Amino acid sequence: MPIRATLRTAAGVVRDVGRRVYFARDMMRALTEPSLWARETIRQMRGIGVDSLPLTVIVAAFLGGVTAFQTRYQLFPGVQLSVVGLISRQSIVLELGPLLTALVLTGRVGARMTAEIGTMRVTEQIDALETLAYDPVGFLALPRLIAALVMLPTLVLIANATAIMSAWGILLVATDVRSSDFIEGLRLAFIPFQVVYSLIKATAFGGAIAFVCSYQGYVTEAGAEGVGRSTALAVVIASVSILVLDAIVAGLFAPYIQA
Amino acid sequence: MKRRDELLVGLLLIVAAFVAIGGTLWLVRGGLSAGYPMYTRFAWGAGLKVGQPVLLAGVNIGSVDQVELDPKGTILVTLRINSSYQVPAGTTATVQANGIFGDQLIALTPARNFTSFMSRGDSIPVGKPAASTADLIAGADSIEKDVAAILSTSRKQFVDDGGLADVRRTIADMSRLVTQLSRVATEQSAQLTSTQGQLRRVLASVDSMVVDSTLKNVRTTSANVASLTGELSKTNAQLARVLARVDSGGGSAALLMNDPALYKQVVQLLARVDTLTIDFKKNPRKYINLEIF
Repeated sequence: MPIRATLRTAAGVVRDVGRRVYFARDMMRALTEPSLWARETIRQMRGIGVDSLPLTVIVAAFLGGVTAFQTRYQLFPGVQLSVVGLISRQSIVLELGPLLTALVLTGRVGARMTAEIGTMRVTEQIDALETLAYDPVGFLALPRLIAALVMLPTLVLIANATAIMSAWGILLVATDVRSSDFIEGLRLAFIPFQVVYSLIKATAFGGAIAFVCSYQGYVTEAGAEGVGRSTALAVVIASVSILVLDAIVAGLFAPYIQA
Repeated sequence: MKRRDELLVGLLLIVAAFVAIGGTLWLVRGGLSAGYPMYTRFAWGAGLKVGQPVLLAGVNIGSVDQVELDPKGTILVTLRINSSYQVPAGTTATVQANGIFGDQLIALTPARNFTSFMSRGDSIPVGKPAASTADLIAGADSIEKDVAAILSTSRKQFVDDGGLADVRRTIADMSRLVTQLSRVATEQSAQLTSTQGQLRRVLASVDSMVVDSTLKNVRTTSANVASLTGELSKTNAQLARVLARVDSGGGSAALLMNDPALYKQVVQLLARVDTLTIDFKKNPRKYINLEIF
């Protein structure tokens, strides 16, 4: 019966949404107990932020350099070269910096979160925490969420700066664009809200990575295979969520990024 | 381990905050040095954006800091000028196109022979704007219309009214004329050649010795004429002197010529002599009474 199957699927989707809402509610409730999550949050910040710095910088350096280099060769003769600076800055700060950093960190940080929490679930460590009257959501998921919400914008700021520096360097070394052209374009039509826009995206992406990946780990079932399945699913859902959030943030805030 | 985590996380956050604030300030103000504001007001500011360059006599001295719509309908533009530059008094500001894709810049044109500088925070008066792309396109449109009108008239004259056929006919006539002229020229050339030959023959037949002697005779004659002329001059001079003397009134001739009374007396004398002569002829014995024996 297709109707019954459809209804069952719809009910499953609604139930999944409901479980996630409950999970979010548990995290909010745990906020009132900093002693539960504060220490773990610092550790997670180190893992998510400081340890991801080399990867973020490498990704940003390549992304900035390639963006600027390609932009230079998209211009037809007669276009002033300062346009390269403008297009590079807008591409990096508004879109590529936050998006690529978040997607890369989904693989490095998100997959690790799901695997860690999922393994704890299948080895019944979470059950043990519950037995010891520890709130597992507050102890495991909330520190990761806070750490991701703080560290993703931090990493995106550094990624943006690295990408712009890399773009500048590549343009000077490999093209006929001069520093004065690049800086003129870099400053053209810039308003501080563009940086804030980048940070809004980064915060949203950080929340999505931590929430999706923690939840998928938390609901892992069926042993090692389940951990693998949950990890793969978490990366897919987190990546798609990042792209959807990117579109939503653009739709909401893009009118305000014009100088 | 825990202290090390805290240190690293704190360090990363501080570096990121520094990058965010420093980078934003650098992009907005062109560095940590603030520069100073100048203001200008345009009636039309399409395409003006924050960050666009401000050029003084073509040199980049700052950027557009703020573009606001005044409720009265003008655009109030705040310029941020680098501290190392000053704007000369009498400078005017215009919005000019930067490239061909609608980007704009603020051009500050200094007055000639300025003696002082504007104060920081002054308003820069607006100068005469440069021709915009729309103006140029409008100009091109009118030129296009003129060209179309000329083409239309030309088409009417040359094609519809048969002007082109006339031109072709004229060219054919010209061609015929040129052929005729060419023929005449050929004939004339032949005649000239024969005349030249005859002339050469005549010249060849002239005896050069005869010519020489004739020339000598001519020279002698010429010398004689010269001496004759000299003598004539002398005679002339003598005559002039005589005449001068006559004019001056000295001597008998002069008195005769210049004194009318004397002239009359002479005439009367002559008349008497005539009468006497006639009488003498009639009656010679009256006067001569010759008696021989």
